[in-house]
Amino acid sequence: MDMTMDFNGEMLMEFFVSMLIIGIGVALLATGMFTSYFGAGKSQKIGFALLFFGIIILVLVYLMTFGGVDAIPNQFNETTFMDALLSGVAALGGMVVGMFVILFVLMKVDTVDDLEDLDLEDLEDLDLDEELKKLEEELNEADSDDDTSEEEE
Amino acid sequence: MNIVISMGLVGVMLSMLFMGLLIAYYGSSKTRNVGFVFLLIGAGLAYYLTLPETYSKVIFLDGMLAFVGGMVGGIIGIIVFLVAIIKS
Repeated sequence: MDMTMDFNGEMLMEFFVSMLIIGIGVALLATGMFTSYFGAGKSQKIGFALLFFGIIILVLVYLMTFGGVDAIPNQFNETTFMDALLSGVAALGGMVVGMFVILFVLMKVDTVDDLEDLDLEDLEDLDLDEELKKLEEELNEADSDDDTSEEEE
Repeated sequence: MNIVISMGLVGVMLSMLFMGLLIAYYGSSKTRNVGFVFLLIGAGLAYYLTLPETYSKVIFLDGMLAFVGGMVGGIIGIIVFLVAIIKS
């Protein structure tokens, strides 16, 4: 199976910068949505501001890549940008899948130490009836002590 | 599609290596053994991705830079959010 990533190998910074800006935009958008929905008063206003800037950044990136705005043509070349976006999203997706696999295996594997290590002989020797009787006697003694002390007072 | 599969494998490799390291260090008995298995899987994936027929240095670096750039961008965005909230 050929696994070569055969997209055009452009200059390194072109991948980094475009994804850096996308990352800032997505983070501002997500935190802005969260804060504007759950925040109150001043926090809500800050949330709307963050949301606004997030949308602005993402719209600008879209326009610079696919629209007619040629502000930073090297960094937002359509082919390069799509390759960078796919790489970033795929790596994130891979990490999420890896985490799920790890959690699944950890939940399936019996992580409690072997029961053989547990000394069950002591438990088998215990006579529960006797233990209960002892406890009852102790409780009764304690009650009778309390009664006598109250009567003396 | 090749990019997606390759970078997806890189993501799986990274999580296996880091989580495997943590689990192998902090886990006990069975959990620790599972951690070592994760480490082995991560190392196997790293070896596979660096085989001559699957590895292209420039393109791999491009993909990694895109991923790191996205992560750094996300962190900057969250720092901006925290500064805005704390200062208010």
